[in-house]
Amino acid sequence: MMGPGTAWYLSVAGFLFGVGTLGVLIRRNPLVVLLSLEIMLNGANLALIAFARHLNDGDGQIFALAVMAVAASEVVVGLGLIVALNRKRVPLDVDRLNSLRG
Amino acid sequence: MTTLLIVLPLAAALVIWLLPLNDISAGALALLAALAEVGVWIQLVARYDFGQGGLQFAQQWNWFSDLHVSYHVGVYGFSVWLVGLTVVVMAAAIAYGFWTGRDRMRAYLGLMLFLTGAVVGVFTAQDLLLFYAFFEAMMIPLYVLVGVWGGPGRMAATLKFVLFTMAGSLLMLASIVVYGLSQNTFDLVQIGQSSSNWIFLGFVAAFAIKAPLFPLHGWLPDAYRESSPEVAAILSGVVSKAAAYGFLRIAIAKFPEPTQHYRATILALAAGGLIYGSLLAFRAPDIRGVVAYSSLAQMGLITIGVFSVNDLGLDGSVLLMVNHGLVSSTLFLLAGMVERRTLTGELARLGGMARGRPALATVLLTTGVIALAVPLSSGFAGEFLVLAGVFRHGWGWSVVGAVAIVLAAAYVLRLVSAILHRNIGAAVSDAALDLRPAELGVVVPLVACLLALSAWPAAITQHSFRGDHGQADVAQGFK
Amino acid sequence: MIYGAWICLLSPLAAAGLITLTGERISRRTAGYLATLSCFVAFGGAVVTFIGLLGREGEQRSIVSTAWTWISGGSYRSGFEVMIDPLSVFMMLIVSGVGALIVAYSIGYMDGDNEERRYFAYMALFVFSMLLLVQGGNLLLLLAGWGMVGLSSYLLIGFWHERPSAIAAAKKAFIMNAIGDATMALALFLLIKKAGSLEFGILGGEYSSTVATLVALGLLGGAVAKSAQLPLQTWLPDAMEGPTPVSALIHAATMVTAGVYLIVRTHAIFESAPHVADLAAGLGAATLLIAGLIALVQVDIKRVIAYSTMSQIGYMFLGVGLGAYANGMFHLMTHSFFKALLFMAAGIVIHALADEQDIRKMGGLRQLMPRTYLAFVIGSLALVGIFPFAGFFSKDSILAAALDRGAYGYVLWVAGLAGTFLTGLYTFRLLFVVFWGEPSPFVREHFHALERDVVGLSLAIPVAILAALSVAGGWIQWAPLWHPIETWLRTAAEPTVSPENWQEWVSSGLALLFGLGGMYVAWLIYGARRLPVPRFAFPQRVLEHKFYFDELYDALFYRPTVWAAKGLHRWIEEPLVDESSSSLGHDTRDLGRIVARAQTGLLRTYALAIASSVAVLAVVFVAVR
Repeated sequence: MMGPGTAWYLSVAGFLFGVGTLGVLIRRNPLVVLLSLEIMLNGANLALIAFARHLNDGDGQIFALAVMAVAASEVVVGLGLIVALNRKRVPLDVDRLNSLRG
Repeated sequence: MTTLLIVLPLAAALVIWLLPLNDISAGALALLAALAEVGVWIQLVARYDFGQGGLQFAQQWNWFSDLHVSYHVGVYGFSVWLVGLTVVVMAAAIAYGFWTGRDRMRAYLGLMLFLTGAVVGVFTAQDLLLFYAFFEAMMIPLYVLVGVWGGPGRMAATLKFVLFTMAGSLLMLASIVVYGLSQNTFDLVQIGQSSSNWIFLGFVAAFAIKAPLFPLHGWLPDAYRESSPEVAAILSGVVSKAAAYGFLRIAIAKFPEPTQHYRATILALAAGGLIYGSLLAFRAPDIRGVVAYSSLAQMGLITIGVFSVNDLGLDGSVLLMVNHGLVSSTLFLLAGMVERRTLTGELARLGGMARGRPALATVLLTTGVIALAVPLSSGFAGEFLVLAGVFRHGWGWSVVGAVAIVLAAAYVLRLVSAILHRNIGAAVSDAALDLRPAELGVVVPLVACLLALSAWPAAITQHSFRGDHGQADVAQGFK
Repeated sequence: MIYGAWICLLSPLAAAGLITLTGERISRRTAGYLATLSCFVAFGGAVVTFIGLLGREGEQRSIVSTAWTWISGGSYRSGFEVMIDPLSVFMMLIVSGVGALIVAYSIGYMDGDNEERRYFAYMALFVFSMLLLVQGGNLLLLLAGWGMVGLSSYLLIGFWHERPSAIAAAKKAFIMNAIGDATMALALFLLIKKAGSLEFGILGGEYSSTVATLVALGLLGGAVAKSAQLPLQTWLPDAMEGPTPVSALIHAATMVTAGVYLIVRTHAIFESAPHVADLAAGLGAATLLIAGLIALVQVDIKRVIAYSTMSQIGYMFLGVGLGAYANGMFHLMTHSFFKALLFMAAGIVIHALADEQDIRKMGGLRQLMPRTYLAFVIGSLALVGIFPFAGFFSKDSILAAALDRGAYGYVLWVAGLAGTFLTGLYTFRLLFVVFWGEPSPFVREHFHALERDVVGLSLAIPVAILAALSVAGGWIQWAPLWHPIETWLRTAAEPTVSPENWQEWVSSGLALLFGLGGMYVAWLIYGARRLPVPRFAFPQRVLEHKFYFDELYDALFYRPTVWAAKGLHRWIEEPLVDESSSSLGHDTRDLGRIVARAQTGLLRTYALAIASSVAVLAVVFVAVR
């Protein structure tokens, strides 16, 4: 089947991954960091599926499903932590959450 | 039978740890196990064929076959005597600990028995990884014994002890791994000789820390002072011999060229330690200090004997190992007995204890004169052989040894007089009784062994190496 | 005969062991009887051996009997063996005989002491050790006996261990002897290296002169230490802290003579190293003069006799150093008789005066203790060497031997004669001060005569026997006329000097003259009080300080050792022990602190770290491709 070449999918995936990384590194709100993390994961997923189609191998798609499951669990934990932080009236600023300092 | 010697105390330890026994039964069981161990050893000595020599009573089972590591144990002529030393001293220590009473008796006795099994394992292991395993296994109960049942400064002492020994052991492990892999086997009987200086130094480092050899003895004074008397007896009497055994069985047997290369340095350090230890013993203000530094000196002398690598030196060093093991454990036990009575070990506060205490005076004096190697004692026989052996490498070493003989006389007589003679010390009261029958039962067998050995040192010197040719055995790497 | 030798050796050991093990279960007197009996049994064994040896001729008179292999190392072996030959039998008879008499005397002397059992156990141990020394069948066993003798001496000198001075004296004796042990051991190591064995026969082997000199020097070091000769003589006077019988046995008759025995036994190596032999003779001569001088100012009755011993052993060293082995050994024998006699008589005096030993407090005992006075006179005459008492025959033949040795010999001869004068002087000074004149106030107050019971008998009989021997014992050998001792010892040690008869007569005459001269001067000053006691401040001080040897050794050896020990402890040990572990701890912690700075606790730091590492890895991955 035709459509845009694999390279286009990969570039979109790369773009998504880059945006997500930038978001993780730059933003201060943990909720936004979590969001960016999700975007990174999606980018990776897209890359997996693109390669699966390109190499005619179903393994990539299976793996993408696994990644989705993991992402979902991790979001649950992350959101739970953020909600707990909010309840305790801790400022939601990544730069000020450093009590695990060595 | 060798495996029985290792497993019997381990099994007894397990039984004592698991069963909810009261103190007396635990003690009795432990003592029984220790004495049974001595009985098994007597069997071993009786059945070992000294005329033929070599490795006997060997057992071997495969462990990691792809690395050629096996459970290989067995005894040589000289290791028979070292195992004997171990079981006798441990029995005396267990008896003393039982009689004095320690808290958490079951844990304590279990650890002592475990230690017995581990040390016997060190002396009988014929596979490098097995040797290392037992070497480390020996340290675990010691850490606990010193750290829990020791005196007021025990935590610092244990920490030092741990750090020093671990450093050495890690170096030894590295050496073992490289050596075993390069030779494609870890079996001590089969492994070939190597000329690598680095591997040799790795082994030497571990043994030099354990012995200890000047200047790596930083852990010694505190560890010997803070542990309970019977643990100090074990440390100086038995555990240090494991290091000397390592020098003999591994360092000089398997590395002939590095031995040649480093001989002068090691002899210099050992001789230095001999004089250094003797001088410090002469000045030490407490009983434990004197005995601890004299241990340092004697280990230097034993090392001199081992590294002279000739028949006289090797026979002498084995004899000295057994002799010193018995002497220093007796002295530490006696120190403990004196400390119990006077609540102090400081020589300035003791004195005049010979009055009204003939048993204590006789035992202490007898042990003291054997410690200073009065001629006709086993200590003298060993020292004579060692110094005659090292004479071949240079008369200077023997002169140093001769000076040390005079210094030994000085510090031992000072110790004995400070405890027994002159005015009654501040800490000595009439309530401090003479040695009780139980205490005599602990030390008199040790002294009796020493006296028997003094009458017949050839029991050990003629029965250590195949046909009494230590150098030939060493050169062959103990096949 | 062989059994006789073994019984001689082992019977005192058995007694010592028995007394130690039975402890308080036997009475104190029984312990004394046991020890004495064992010594007499030993003497019996010695006699049996002697008779057995008489039945043999010449070369056959040397047997070594081995019990078991004592020690071994490779091809080197030393057995636990005894040597039976004329020299060892000679010594066995003296040691066990005089020893038995002295132990018997101790029963009376030590009566009443709380620790009698310990005393007799130690005495028996000593006799065993001395017998081991003289009977040892190889050099190693000789060294073993040597050391055990030093040990027994320590135990006996420090017998009254409540006294700090006694303990200090015992330690000093042991350590000086240990120095001698060490030099002997070094000599033995050299012998093992060169000859591979320590049997007595190897001493006659061929050695380079360096080796022979070193071995002989090492042996001489041991001899000098044990016999309290220069330069290791300072322990002997202090050793008088022990009970008087101990001084009699150890410091007169036996232990201190061990050095002389050693030189005779190992004479072959001394003959290979003539310079060392000359050194031995020279040291003997120097010691006899110095000891004689110091004895002139001593005020303790036992110390005078002790210095006299030192001086007489100087004579023996002189003799054996020159090669006159039989003469030296003969003097050893007679000396053991009269010196033990003198000590025992002194002991009776001390006991009678409530343990006072200062002669300035004594005087006029002649009337109060006539028999003791007689014994003392006999002993003194024998010591000075007046005909017909024992010392005359033995001492003079040593002097005669010196004449046979050229210029050096003349020097030694003159020294020996001067020593005879001094001997007369100090001996009779002692006699006159203690026994003549009016009883001093102290004596009047404290004197009590001895009872007539076992105690008294045990004190009196040995003294009487020794007095008889001091009178008659010398007649065994009169060099120009008959010399059975020399013949007897010939197979063991052939003398290397043989003085002419005229030399013998001249020496005897002059020695007699000088001895009488010394006695006369002593009589003038102390006996008849015709002349005042000379008082020269500086010499007096030097003599009283015993030529400052103690101070010298203190500065040379003891202080530096203590200083070294203190220094090592402060500068090396403390830093090593304390800081090695604390620096380990501190350094580890500091390293940890540095590394911990990476743990900022900020999420973004960690994220950045991950991102950058991934980027780097990706670049590397691509580059490697």
